[in-house]
Amino acid sequence: MRVVIAEDSVLLREGLVRLLGDAAIETVATVGDGPGLLGIVEEHEPDLAIVDVRMPPSFTDEGLRAALAVRERRPGTPILVLSQYVEERYATDLIGGGAEGVGYLLKERVSDIAEFIDAVRRIAAGGTVIDPEVIGQLLGRRRTGDPLEALTPREREVLGLMAQGRSNGAIAQDLVVTEGAVEKHISNIFAKLDLQPAQGGHRRVMAVLAYLGRAAA
Amino acid sequence: MGELSRDIGGGGAPPARAGTPDGAHGGAHGGGATPAGGRRASVMDGSWRPAAMARSAVSWTSALYIAVSLAFGLGWFVTLAVGLSLSLGLLIVWVGFPLLALLMVAWRFGARLERRLVRAAFGVAVPDPYRPMPESRNPFVRLRTMAADPATWKDLVYLGLLFPLTLVEFVLSAIVWGLTGTLLFMPLIVLFGGGMEINLGQVTYWSGNPVEALPVSAVGLVVLAGALYVTRGTAIAHAAWARLMLGPNASQAENRELRQRTAHLRASRARGVDAAEFERRRIERDLHDGAQQRLLAVAMDIGRARAKLDQDPEGARELIEQAHAGTKEAITELRDLARGIYPAILTDRGLDPALSGLAGRAPVPVEVDVDLPERPPAAVESIAYFIVAEALANIAKYARATRASVRVAREDRWVVVEVTDNGAGGAVARPGGGLAGLADRAATIDGMLIVDSPPGGPTIVRADLPCTW
Repeated sequence: MRVVIAEDSVLLREGLVRLLGDAAIETVATVGDGPGLLGIVEEHEPDLAIVDVRMPPSFTDEGLRAALAVRERRPGTPILVLSQYVEERYATDLIGGGAEGVGYLLKERVSDIAEFIDAVRRIAAGGTVIDPEVIGQLLGRRRTGDPLEALTPREREVLGLMAQGRSNGAIAQDLVVTEGAVEKHISNIFAKLDLQPAQGGHRRVMAVLAYLGRAAA
Repeated sequence: MGELSRDIGGGGAPPARAGTPDGAHGGAHGGGATPAGGRRASVMDGSWRPAAMARSAVSWTSALYIAVSLAFGLGWFVTLAVGLSLSLGLLIVWVGFPLLALLMVAWRFGARLERRLVRAAFGVAVPDPYRPMPESRNPFVRLRTMAADPATWKDLVYLGLLFPLTLVEFVLSAIVWGLTGTLLFMPLIVLFGGGMEINLGQVTYWSGNPVEALPVSAVGLVVLAGALYVTRGTAIAHAAWARLMLGPNASQAENRELRQRTAHLRASRARGVDAAEFERRRIERDLHDGAQQRLLAVAMDIGRARAKLDQDPEGARELIEQAHAGTKEAITELRDLARGIYPAILTDRGLDPALSGLAGRAPVPVEVDVDLPERPPAAVESIAYFIVAEALANIAKYARATRASVRVAREDRWVVVEVTDNGAGGAVARPGGGLAGLADRAATIDGMLIVDSPPGGPTIVRADLPCTW
């Protein structure tokens, strides 16, 4: 697997390269700013681009904008955005053009190496990985007459895990219930939120995120 | 953070007000020459209908002033004429100087008195126009300042001309009120005078008893209305003259306003500086107590692990696990701290997403409604954000609320931020506390913060911030 990295902190960049190298993931190119990302993506056509949100020259959401540009110019390029802070607005921007092969994680998740590598592989394979904190924010925000109010606490939990891209089996394991129970919860959630029941991992995530993103936008 | 105390169940804590309620909407932006202060009636405005004028106290105080002011006029005329000629005549032998100084102090006192009287009689405020007195206690310095002040000499002109003015006013009102009185009380005159020849235009008759004189009283009512108008007109003229001669001129009025504004700004700057200092201390404390201690613990764990590595690899592994967890906690803490100093999303995307993020992290459901046509200046956004952050933190800590709402809207020239919860109420913005600090920050941009939290709730924290900062 070949990745490119856009990260301005040399320390973190070299750390990432080594960490990925240990897991037999090859880093083919790195850049230290946002605008450079598109160039190396077009040059190397990697399996995944890892991007830091805050980079020069503006030190605001440079990396996010670069990621969106990549998604627009080369749709289908899997992208993992790392951020010091998670903000739901960044997440909804990012999945606005489709959640396939999109990841958005707190930078510090890098230190849980096994989980991080797993996330990298899932995104490269077209999956969706969204930081639990973002999901928490999306679920935490409330509006009057919000259909989310109709969900039971357990259903909210299941919705949060679904949005993170977990499979039914993983959700069942997390909540210590049977897969059948999870399926029942999910069909309840889809009915209450008026969503089209969707099969398969990322399409389901997309439906949920699109719903949450719509509520937050 | 969050030193907002909650007086739950205790004696009724009054709604706390923090910030500068007077500074933001009042004084600084107030109009110039309109009668300020107490909202009492003035001859300048108020209804012109005779019935309303007859009921208004200011008509009668005006009439009273006009009736007695001739005495003041005459008194000042004599005092000034005698005093001035005496002191000017004695200038040659130097006695004139102290006499003149005494007279000047006297007429300035007279002018002050006259301002009070004009205000009491006509309801027209005439602010003191004098230059500020020097700090010095030296009477000569003070006298020189008085003599150099044009207002002192305008006082003299006013008091000197008060006699002819009040004479005219007195004669005019004596005629109209005398006529009014005579006609109105004709029945009584007839009763005690034993009859009178009545002459009403075409109609002429001999009135022998009070009832026959009643039509005259009716005419008197009409004349009364006329007398009220004459009094009103005289009062307006007198008040205008007094304002012209005794009040500050346009540039003085402006000066005065600027001085008030300067004082207000100085106070708010001091509050802002204090708030910034407080904030720096808080950051230092948070860094010291939080991330620094955690990293120290991590360093110790790693140091111990290194020492154990050969003899006790299993123990070393445990210590490394512990250190790993410790670094993650330190990162989280640093991140929260950095966000508390300035949230990156606020610069990037503005208030709506930043507040949504805050709401999402709050432990109770928070409804967010941001309705701003355009992004306010960065200082306003930042203060608005931190007010919401502090309010939500307080709600989480003390309010025992089950839900809260945040509203940000543009109202006229103001960005209004309102955080409401359904909790226990009784919140007080304590000096030195988080909310008081935010009120100070709001004051630096001429905004204000109000906490309204009756015991039992609901609590409303509202900030009005100018969006033209």
